[in-house]
Amino acid sequence: MRCEQVRSLMNEYIEGSLSEALRERVGAHLSGCAECRRELRFMRAIWRGLSEMPEAQPPADLHARIMTHVRANTRLREASPRFALWRWAGAAAAAAGLFLMGFFAAQSDGVQATFGLGGGRTAAVETPTPVQAGVFIEYRVVEQGVRLPVLEARMNRAANAELRYAPDAQKPPTLVWQGTLQPGKTVEIPLQALLQASNERALTLWWSVDGQRRVLLVPAGYPPAKLASIRLQAKLGDALRQLASIYQTPIEWQPHGEEPLVVLDVQDATLEDALRQLLQGSAYTVQRHGETVRVVAH
Amino acid sequence: MRRYEQKVYQLAYRLTNNPDDAADVAAETFLRMYNSLRRFRGDAQLSTWLYRVVSNVFFDFRKRESRHQHLPLELSTEDGEEPMELPIEDESVDIIGHALQEEQKRVLMEAIQQLPEYQRVMVVLFHIEERPYEEIAQILGLPLGTIKSRLNRARNALRQLLEPHRELFEVDSRPTIEQPQEASDAL
Ligand SMILES: [Zn+2]
Repeated sequence: MRCEQVRSLMNEYIEGSLSEALRERVGAHLSGCAECRRELRFMRAIWRGLSEMPEAQPPADLHARIMTHVRANTRLREASPRFALWRWAGAAAAAAGLFLMGFFAAQSDGVQATFGLGGGRTAAVETPTPVQAGVFIEYRVVEQGVRLPVLEARMNRAANAELRYAPDAQKPPTLVWQGTLQPGKTVEIPLQALLQASNERALTLWWSVDGQRRVLLVPAGYPPAKLASIRLQAKLGDALRQLASIYQTPIEWQPHGEEPLVVLDVQDATLEDALRQLLQGSAYTVQRHGETVRVVAH
Repeated sequence: MRRYEQKVYQLAYRLTNNPDDAADVAAETFLRMYNSLRRFRGDAQLSTWLYRVVSNVFFDFRKRESRHQHLPLELSTEDGEEPMELPIEDESVDIIGHALQEEQKRVLMEAIQQLPEYQRVMVVLFHIEERPYEEIAQILGLPLGTIKSRLNRARNALRQLLEPHRELFEVDSRPTIEQPQEASDAL
C-alpha cells in the first residue's frame, strides 16, 4: 500500500471503520513508514483535541436574550409554563377587553373534556360562574400590550360541543377540544397556543354544539387596520378570514348551503364597507354583536 | 427549557466562535422552534430537531452576513475542496501544560471557523457534539453516504488548516489509545 492510499484511509483507520483486511494492510504500512505514523499521530491529536473541547460558558443573560427575542417576534407571548397562565384564567376580574362572539341559544352543563392537537397544548378550565349563555372570544391582558384570546362557552342546558381548528380548506380540521357543556358552568379554552402554533393573523375555528356548526374567525391581536385597500376573489369563508385578519376583528359566520365565490375591490374601505360589497347579492347579511361581526343567512 | 438553552448555545457557539453571535443564533432558534411546534411530530428526536434548527439558523445568519461582509470567495463555497489558508499565528509555543492545551483549543476553534459552513456543522456535530452519522444525516437532511464523504473532506481540510500549528499537536504528551505500531514508533 502506498502512502497516499494510507493517508486517504487515515480517518477511517482512526475511527475503526475499516474492514479487517484493509485495517491490516494500513497497519502493515504504518509499521514500516515513519512519515505516515507521524501523520497518524497528528490526526489523532486533532480528533482528540476536538472531543475534549470544553463546554462554553453561556452569557449570564442568555435566557433573557432568548425570551426577549421570542417575545419581540411573536404577537402573543408565553408566560413561563404554558398552562400556568390558564390556572387563573377563570378569574374574570383579571379579564379585560371582553368581546362577544355571538350567541347561540343558551343553556349548559358540567364538563368532560378531551383534547386533541399534539397531546393537549390547549387546556380548558372550568369556572363556576355562569354569566350569559353563548360562545365568546375574550381577550385577556396578561401584561402590558399582551392580549391572549380565550374561547368561553356557557350553556343553560347540557350539550355536546367541540372545537376544531381548520388551518386550511384542503385539510380536515383538527380536533382541539371536545366535551359536554353543563348548565351553570363555563368552559374556557385558551387559544394562545393555537395562534402560536399556526402563526396566522386570524385563526379559523369550527365550533359545533350538538352538531350545529359555526365558523369563528379569531384575530391574533395585531394592530387592526381601520381602512384598507383590498382586492380579492375567493370563497366566502376565505374572504371573511382575510377580513378578520386585516381588520383584526372577530367574525362569526354560519355556512349555509354552497359557499359562494365573492369578489372584493375596495380602496381605503372600512370593514363595514368591505363587507357590504362582499356580500352584495349573496344570501348573507351582516349583524354586529359588540365588537364581533356576524355574517348570517337572510 | 434551560437545559435546551445550554445545548443550543453550545452548538451555536461552536459554529460561530463568538458568544454574542451564539446568543443571537440561540435566540432565533428558540423563536423558530416556538413557531413550528406544531410541525414537530415526535418522529424525530427532540435533540435532532433542535440541532437541525440551530444549523439552519446558522446557515441563514451566514448567508445574511456574507451579503454584507464580502467574505473571501474561497471560504464561501459549500463543498470546500478549495485551498484555505489559516492566518499564520506567530505565538510562542514554548508554553506548557494547561496553557498549551488552551492554545490548542483556540487554534482548533479558529481552524473550524475557516471551514465552509457545511463542513463546519458536520465537524462540530460529529467531533464536538459527538452525534452519530445517522443523526447528522437527519439533522442536515442528507444521505448517510454524503455525510460520510463530506465529513471526511472536512477533516482533511481541517488538517490542512492546522498544518502550520503542527507542533501544538505533536507536543501533546497525554496518554493515548495508540496502536502497538505507534507505540513502537514513540520510542
Ligand atoms: Zn507512508
